[in-house]
Amino acid sequence: MKKLLLLMALAMVVLFTAAGCGGKTPLTIWVGSESEAFYTAKMEEYKALYLETTGEEFPHEIAVKGVDTGTAASTFLDDTEAGADIFTAAHDNLGKLIAGSSSVAPVQSQALLDQIQADNPASFLEVIKGTVNGTEYTFGIPYIAQSLVLYYNKAFITETQAQTWEGILEAAVDNNKQALSLAGTDGFNNSFILLATEAETGDTSLKLYENGVQENCFGTGDDTIAKLKWGQNFFNHPNGAKAPTDSGWEVELKDEISISFIGGAWHYSAAKAALGDDLGITILPTFTIDETEAYGDAVTGTVYQSGTFADTKAFFMKKGSAYQEYLEDILLFLTSKDVQEESFEQVQNLPAYKNAADEFAAFQEDTLDAQLAAAQVRMFEFGIPQPFGFSSKFNTYYYSKGAPELILEILKNPNGNLTTHEAILAQMQKVESLWKTGLQPQ
Amino acid sequence: MSQISERKNEKSSETSRFLSFFKNLGIKTKNAFLKFGNRFKDGSIGTKLSHFIMGSGNLYHKQIAKGLIYLALQIAFLFIFITSPEVNSTPLGFKSIINFITLGTEEGDIFNPTDNSMLMLLFGVIVFGLIGLFLAAYSSNIKSSYKADLDKRKGKKPTSFKQDIESLLDERFHIAMLTPAIIGILIFTILPTIFMILIAFTNFDSQHPAGQVLFDWVGLKNFADIFSGTGEISVRFGPVLGWTLIWAFFATSTNYIGGILLALLINKKGIKLKKLWRTVFILTIALPQFISLLAMRNLLSEYGPINAMLLELGITDAPISFLSNAESAWTARITIIVINIWIGVPYTMLMTSGILMNVPTELYEAAQIDGATKRQAFFNITIPYILFITTPYLITSFIGNITSFNVIYLLTGGGPGVPGYKAGETDLLVTWLYKLTIDESEYNIGSVIAILTFIITASATLISYRRSKSFKEEDAFQ
Repeated sequence: MKKLLLLMALAMVVLFTAAGCGGKTPLTIWVGSESEAFYTAKMEEYKALYLETTGEEFPHEIAVKGVDTGTAASTFLDDTEAGADIFTAAHDNLGKLIAGSSSVAPVQSQALLDQIQADNPASFLEVIKGTVNGTEYTFGIPYIAQSLVLYYNKAFITETQAQTWEGILEAAVDNNKQALSLAGTDGFNNSFILLATEAETGDTSLKLYENGVQENCFGTGDDTIAKLKWGQNFFNHPNGAKAPTDSGWEVELKDEISISFIGGAWHYSAAKAALGDDLGITILPTFTIDETEAYGDAVTGTVYQSGTFADTKAFFMKKGSAYQEYLEDILLFLTSKDVQEESFEQVQNLPAYKNAADEFAAFQEDTLDAQLAAAQVRMFEFGIPQPFGFSSKFNTYYYSKGAPELILEILKNPNGNLTTHEAILAQMQKVESLWKTGLQPQ
Repeated sequence: MSQISERKNEKSSETSRFLSFFKNLGIKTKNAFLKFGNRFKDGSIGTKLSHFIMGSGNLYHKQIAKGLIYLALQIAFLFIFITSPEVNSTPLGFKSIINFITLGTEEGDIFNPTDNSMLMLLFGVIVFGLIGLFLAAYSSNIKSSYKADLDKRKGKKPTSFKQDIESLLDERFHIAMLTPAIIGILIFTILPTIFMILIAFTNFDSQHPAGQVLFDWVGLKNFADIFSGTGEISVRFGPVLGWTLIWAFFATSTNYIGGILLALLINKKGIKLKKLWRTVFILTIALPQFISLLAMRNLLSEYGPINAMLLELGITDAPISFLSNAESAWTARITIIVINIWIGVPYTMLMTSGILMNVPTELYEAAQIDGATKRQAFFNITIPYILFITTPYLITSFIGNITSFNVIYLLTGGGPGVPGYKAGETDLLVTWLYKLTIDESEYNIGSVIAILTFIITASATLISYRRSKSFKEEDAFQ
């Protein structure tokens, strides 16, 4: 009897405690861990600006918290009530953020919409919008850009050689090294082949969820097959590209096993640590189709420019935030051109601002940081933003249903059964089906 | 023949035990209702009243504190149940029961929230739990009052609150101590388990994120999907389950046999520096397992020391991928099993050493008197004794290996990959489950796999343990 009595009393205490928890939390902003100090300082500036403009103290406490930007959207969705009022995420998370009735609020302030429109490249403007209940809204406010670039070892590769994969392969053969290391073989890291465009015209037959339509995927064009055949030759050359190993690309670069690496700005510190003064940074190279690779319209001698996903990180606002009335004004400030410029100078965040390369002084300096920024900006000419934000399905179908593994099988060709163009085409038909439906053809 | 009939008898006795469990349950329930009615008829006015207002019986018997606690519990419960206070915009009370059935109806729009089906499911489970606890307290309140009635009829004074507290700190101290543990188990084990099981019967997946899109009950559809023969889950379930069982068998048997052999070797008469050898092997236990595993992965990586040595010695002419990039699935699988031996053998060695030091010496003396050779003593005393003691360990070890996460996740991450599928060649059910839930948000399928894993492990445990000598001849080595 007493046992039950005590049990009930404690259960009630737990229940009341749980129900009674939760005083008012401060206005919370999640930014990348590397930028926490920077944005904390910026919010102090914002408060001063608020006082100056309105003549009143900003009425709420503001907490800036550093998070892993790669998982911030998922963390937010795991418990939206506990999520930040403003948080950062890559634009391709938009699909899952706005699934159903959306967890994020649309931008409504005309001033902020105007700033977004004026400051960002056209490609970004398309991927920050989404449709909820049949109406299109702008949800993301871009402030960081990112693309893949080539890190290379200047001790082995000359600047001229770094412009083409053939040059890099030549350097690898001369020094008996591997031409390239990769960080991974997923759908992001294979983009240097898959998204390659004809150098002269910028054309490609590849389509990935064009106009946000699930069926608009095409990966079986002649040029795609030829490019993958080139990739297969590149991966199977004794001195060619290496699939990722358990040793990791840093070890491979540092131990001079391979002489170049495709990576983003987030790999910069590790690449610098691995190569020191020998680190060179440039845009991704071109490659030329030879007679063994030519297929249909993709004729011998066609030059392709390696491609990339050219993405943006954007701020999003929590739907139903208790601080909704303040959020857009804060974002107007945080994503302004001036703050983006300072962010680049102080924490090397590549700005989303479209004229940064011409207008920001730090871009003109002769430093590795500036070279990295310049290379990333140039890669935007040859890249597309990940087109997966239109629906939560796209990201899953593209990355998680086995398509990257099928493409890797083409590149590695471990059993020798994917040597012919026809075999590659058949494999890409499976990939295309996975992109469109998440299922392999029966 | 006799063995067959023994097994038949065993089976029929297990079946009858199973049936009698439900029969007894029915009888107990019936008795409880009868007692409930009798107490109402036979009880004092206070006891009768306590059927409607909790604590009134105790108050009637001047057990003020106890009566007020019961009353407070009833008020608190009814307050929560009727007002249904909102937690994270989801009601917790009688509305939770409706929500538990519907899993939400409000689809929301760009400015208004969607009902959070996941919280509704969770709160439904919590409210059913609270109702259960409330009914237990309700029954306790009646029993308490009726006991006071009986005490009075016997001429005794009903116990005071102070006496009850003193009793809880003295002869019923075990209750005071066990209560927090029971509450902990209820909140942290039973409630999440029920919640997890229920998810298997919904369509809570990446296309139905909680709070954005409503999800619903789908019956046994998720279970049917696993056996449908199409889609990744169905295609990969068999191979992953097969490898999980192979892994569990080899990981358990190699560690078990290896550990016993090592212990026998170290404990053999004539072996010098026994303590040193034991310490050396125990060092792998002293290090956190994940560090050992990551170190092994680096040692075996394509450009790690082992490959460098093989190249240097001319044994190979190119680095070998032993783990996630291995050309053959079996290369990675065998490597994992071998690494697991290195990590797991010291545990068995340590345990077996302890057992060997405690084998009753009189058994050997008796064998010696009977003229047994050392070899006979070893095979007829030492080995059976070790097996008898370690059978439960062997079973738990097998189960532990079925759900072993660290070794696979840290060494290969499930790789080498299978073209077209996420579940790799070395993925176990549990690592696949991790990918499905954490990476893919396919909570419903993850839950189905968790339930199937539980069924496999529970069946394996029950069957093997009940058939072991450790269970059948429990008193043999006392």
